[in-house]
Amino acid sequence: MGGILVIAEQRRGELRPVSLELITAAQGLRAAGDAVAVALLAADPARLVDPLKVAGVDEIITVQTAAAEFDPDAFEAAVGALISARSPSVVLIAHSIDSFGYAAALAARQGFGFATDVFKVERIEGELVATRGGYGQKVCVEVDFPGRSTVLLAVRATMFKAPDRAGSPAVTSFAAPSVVSRAEGGDFIEASAADDVDMTAAEFILTIGRGVGEEAKIAQFRELADVIGATLGCSRPIADAGWLPKSRQVGQSGKTASACRLYIAMGVSGAIQHLAGMKHVSTIIAVNSDAGASIFGVAKYGIVGDIFEIAEELRRHF
Amino acid sequence: MKILVAVKQVAALDEDFVIGADGRDVDAEFLIRDLNEWDDFSLEEAVRIKEAAADPVEVVVVSIGPEEADEVLRKCLAKGADRAVRIWDEAVAGSDPIAIARILAAVARQEAPDMLLAGVQSSDHGFASTGIATAGFLGWPHGAVVASLAYTSGEKSAVFRRELEGGLLHQVTIQCPAVLTIQAGINTPRYASLRSIKQAAAKPIDVRNLADVGISAHEVGEQGSLSHVRRMYIPDKGHAQLIEGSAAEQAKRLAGIIRAFKGEA
Amino acid sequence: MSHIDAVTRILFEEFATAEIRFFYVIGYAAIAVFFYGVYVQVRKYRRGAALRLDGSPWARVLDMVGSVLSHRTIARRDTGAGAAHRLIFYGFVLLFLGTSTITLQYDILDPLFGIRFWQGDFYLVFSLVLDMAGVMLIGGLLYMMARRGWMKLPKLDYARPDRVPGDPDFERPQYRREDWAFLWMLIIIGVTGYILEAARLVWLQDRPLVWQTRWWSPVGAELAEALRTAGLSAATAGTLRHGLWWFHGLIALALIALIPWTKVKHIFTAAASLLVRDPLAAQRLPRIPESQAEPGVAKITDFTWKQLLNLDACTKCGRCHEACPARAVGAPLSPRDVILSLREFANAALEKNVLPDAVELGVHGKAPGQVTMETLWSCRTCMACVEICPVAVEHIPIIVQMRRKLVEEGSMEPLLQKTLQTIHKTGNSFGESRRKRGAWSKALPFAVKDARKEAVDVLWFVGDYASFDPRNQSVTQIFATLLHEAGVDFGILFDGESNAGNDVRRVGEEGLYEVLAEANISALHQAKFNSVVTTDPHSFNTIRNEYPDFGGKFEIQHYTTLLRQLFDKGRLRMARKLDYRVTFHDPCHLGRFNKGYEAPRELLALLGCELVEMGRSRANSFCCGAGGGRIWIPDPVGSEKPAQNRMREAAAIDGLEVYVVSCPKDLTMFEDALKTTGNEGKFVVKELIELVREAVSHELVPA
Repeated sequence: MGGILVIAEQRRGELRPVSLELITAAQGLRAAGDAVAVALLAADPARLVDPLKVAGVDEIITVQTAAAEFDPDAFEAAVGALISARSPSVVLIAHSIDSFGYAAALAARQGFGFATDVFKVERIEGELVATRGGYGQKVCVEVDFPGRSTVLLAVRATMFKAPDRAGSPAVTSFAAPSVVSRAEGGDFIEASAADDVDMTAAEFILTIGRGVGEEAKIAQFRELADVIGATLGCSRPIADAGWLPKSRQVGQSGKTASACRLYIAMGVSGAIQHLAGMKHVSTIIAVNSDAGASIFGVAKYGIVGDIFEIAEELRRHF
Repeated sequence: MKILVAVKQVAALDEDFVIGADGRDVDAEFLIRDLNEWDDFSLEEAVRIKEAAADPVEVVVVSIGPEEADEVLRKCLAKGADRAVRIWDEAVAGSDPIAIARILAAVARQEAPDMLLAGVQSSDHGFASTGIATAGFLGWPHGAVVASLAYTSGEKSAVFRRELEGGLLHQVTIQCPAVLTIQAGINTPRYASLRSIKQAAAKPIDVRNLADVGISAHEVGEQGSLSHVRRMYIPDKGHAQLIEGSAAEQAKRLAGIIRAFKGEA
Repeated sequence: MSHIDAVTRILFEEFATAEIRFFYVIGYAAIAVFFYGVYVQVRKYRRGAALRLDGSPWARVLDMVGSVLSHRTIARRDTGAGAAHRLIFYGFVLLFLGTSTITLQYDILDPLFGIRFWQGDFYLVFSLVLDMAGVMLIGGLLYMMARRGWMKLPKLDYARPDRVPGDPDFERPQYRREDWAFLWMLIIIGVTGYILEAARLVWLQDRPLVWQTRWWSPVGAELAEALRTAGLSAATAGTLRHGLWWFHGLIALALIALIPWTKVKHIFTAAASLLVRDPLAAQRLPRIPESQAEPGVAKITDFTWKQLLNLDACTKCGRCHEACPARAVGAPLSPRDVILSLREFANAALEKNVLPDAVELGVHGKAPGQVTMETLWSCRTCMACVEICPVAVEHIPIIVQMRRKLVEEGSMEPLLQKTLQTIHKTGNSFGESRRKRGAWSKALPFAVKDARKEAVDVLWFVGDYASFDPRNQSVTQIFATLLHEAGVDFGILFDGESNAGNDVRRVGEEGLYEVLAEANISALHQAKFNSVVTTDPHSFNTIRNEYPDFGGKFEIQHYTTLLRQLFDKGRLRMARKLDYRVTFHDPCHLGRFNKGYEAPRELLALLGCELVEMGRSRANSFCCGAGGGRIWIPDPVGSEKPAQNRMREAAAIDGLEVYVVSCPKDLTMFEDALKTTGNEGKFVVKELIELVREAVSHELVPA
């Protein structure tokens, strides 16, 4: 009984980086004698075991699934069975699209303590406390789980650093119950790329958001990005409106600005999904008319002002 | 044929909001309420399925909330929902998404729809749990973050694409009845004119209490929840170093930073 | 029989009885066709929606007769057309009346009562007057032909901005053919009348009574001399006269028969349209009647009979086409073509004996006769078209009624849709918190009274732009300071105020307008004050002209008149003269809508500014492009914006220093246009309030 179970996440044969972040999150929750076990659900889990051999992991549990990719019924059954078998006190999973697809159903049916989009986990006087955002991230909410012997926490990506030291955990396997899936996964489809820009490779990005207001204003920023030598990106509303191609969207459901070192966000309020794709950038400059915009929370420099005016003034310098 | 759409009245925060006396939520006076953005898309998706169907399809919206939630239900009626159900009981206050899902599942059992649609998440608390937890209670097939949907009312299965991280799409075929959570951007929600909203005010809203849907008080509220709010607080403001001055001066600083980055200065 | 009293018109002399009978048959037939046509037209109008006119019928008649007789509306901004039409009108009326008196005596008074007035001196004067009338008619017609044939005025070009070459209704050559046919028909009637007269004189040259009095018909007599000189014999002239008589008569009768079926009908429809004119057509839009299930206009029969009549009154003069700011910048809208499209639609659908099915009556779309949503959304509701229309066509209510239908079905720009939702949610178009509405006042060194809590003399309705737009907030603060220093007891409603709704209503979102108007009226009713002032002409218009329909009757003035009064009373005093060379932009909603042309100009004079008017000023002021909800609709990329067009006009003024505005939206639009037209640094855009502040302040140094 007890211990911490981490559910690693893979897609198309590759471990998702958030899996390692969960291992770091788990360390802060270890009570005396708690072991950290990492479960990996995949059609061929052995292939992905090595990257999980990091410090802080006591055991890697491979769970072979029938389908190659995520399947809500199979995952719910497998993780549920594993929890029943191991009775961990805390289960950490990623707050990801895959977990959206089964974690809540699992917690609801099994009566686990449950919280999603958690960015801080701790024990306060022995009690497990998770912190998440509320009201569009304008407040922080601390939740606890009185009377729950198992708590399932979906942890926000990029909040924890991956462990940098290797470890040598034991590798075991667990037999997943067989289920007849009612949702059959098919092909993966890349979002249509209207232009061949690679946001993940760009070092300097100028991103525009909802604050642009209208399609007609896009041209001004396109031109500005050109002259200052930046790659033009956008937040979700701009891509949804079709004003810029989806391939330029930065954020959770868009691209991650992996190679970026200078990121200028104009008229981007800083929804959590957007921050997920860029908050790691070393120099972020936020320009927004709303001094309370959450983008200022991750920016190094902030300019409170009219984005069109700033853009126009900036243009004169190049 | 019937589609059930679960909707939520969300709240945004007004200027200079404060945390209420119990330290566990924002003072209600500072809450600006509206229909959840994602629910607008799921309702639109349901109405489109109805409009495309050969046979009559009833779109029923359901919301768990006090009387003021009628406002969002009216908006849904104005946008093409045929019927609105609202469940409320004082005991429901303090429910987490799982307790809400328990009620929704009870309503779904009563209504027996061919499909249940919900938003991926709500714009206020972003749990991303309610829809899929409802499916859990119902034991129905479920799919999350649906960015496109091909479903003909009455069919035994539907094909959808879920939107993964990085913009990748994953096609899934699912058996019906199912619960799908709909991603923003899947369609363009229609405009509800104020006139149609006013006209919808004349349509009745079917208000039920917990007993009506066969749920007891201890299954909802804090007792029926899987988490409990300890406290709510306003985080420290961001650490951005503000560049002050006129727009021209601000732009000059900005230009300097860009030049420094590019190694030109 | 040689006594002058015996002189009279030669009528059917030498006509066989059968021939005369034949003429009567044709005459009656023409009149029958005319009346049938009138019936068809009236039936068409009656197929429109009901409408009750208010106001005194006698005042309407007087107003209409005054406009028609003076040609006031036709002469505006086109004196040539006014003068020419006046000649045609009076020439035609005289000839028509003259000809009618022949029938009056010959067919009615003489046979029934034996009364004959149509001889002697009366006949001679009659001859002279009709001869002159013919000259007027032909003269006017020749000028009109010159306009069409040689001057090629752009406003008379029927190519449409809302269609593309190749569309069946792009150029509408049938209109050109009809125009020319009408002109030629009238001119032929006039010219053959003279030749007929001359031929008669030559034919009867031996009859002293005729020949001696011939100079009472000077044109005919001159022509007769010429014909005689050319060798025309009396006998040949008699034959010529006989033939021409028939030719002239038949064309004249044809004209009568054609009136209700062709553009000639404007002689009735234009007058009728003027008769039913609504002087507040654009300023006060119609409410949606309780009984009406669907808002706005979807079908041609949803238009009121008056609007259907409006469509028929249009003479394609092109003044609205020329005045329209949307058309000027290449938007797919010409008010003229909206009217003509709908007229074509109405004629095709409603002149039929049996009313077509509802599905065939839809006026929205791209087919000939229909109006596209792009066209409707291009309108700025600036009223330039309504204001200049010589025949009282009221385009704005027609366009807004059609927009109401578009709003109901959600056919609008996403940004507009979003803005409307924002206004519903927050009460302002900026999506700001209600609480922040009065936040601008916090920066002032004095407290601004909350009119909801204490009585004030003047209640200031601030409006969205003046409350929330950062640039306008500074003007708002200056105005508050001016009021404060002038000792005006004023207050504002703070978060009790909502968007006034003027533009929301013009967008066609009537339900939202009702919500806003009712909220504001209720807030105003709860406050104690004597009068209202606003710096926003849009709010000014709707509170002044539209709130009364919702039970909100308030005395309201625009700030320009209030400041003028404060100077008059000595409560504002000049500290220094401003010797700027300025031009003034009349805001649509202050100028055209509410005739507030003078107060801002008087203020500018008072400040010592040298005012140089732009070509388009006062009633002809050119909209900044923001009206009618267009401020919430993106302009197409790359095309000129109305504000830019206007800036170029202002930039042509030599030595211009300040472009003065008196409307918050104007300040935003023109400061932007100043930059985008590259005029920044050449002159500045300023609110009149800022100039007043500069002139009365002892502290400020000249800019």
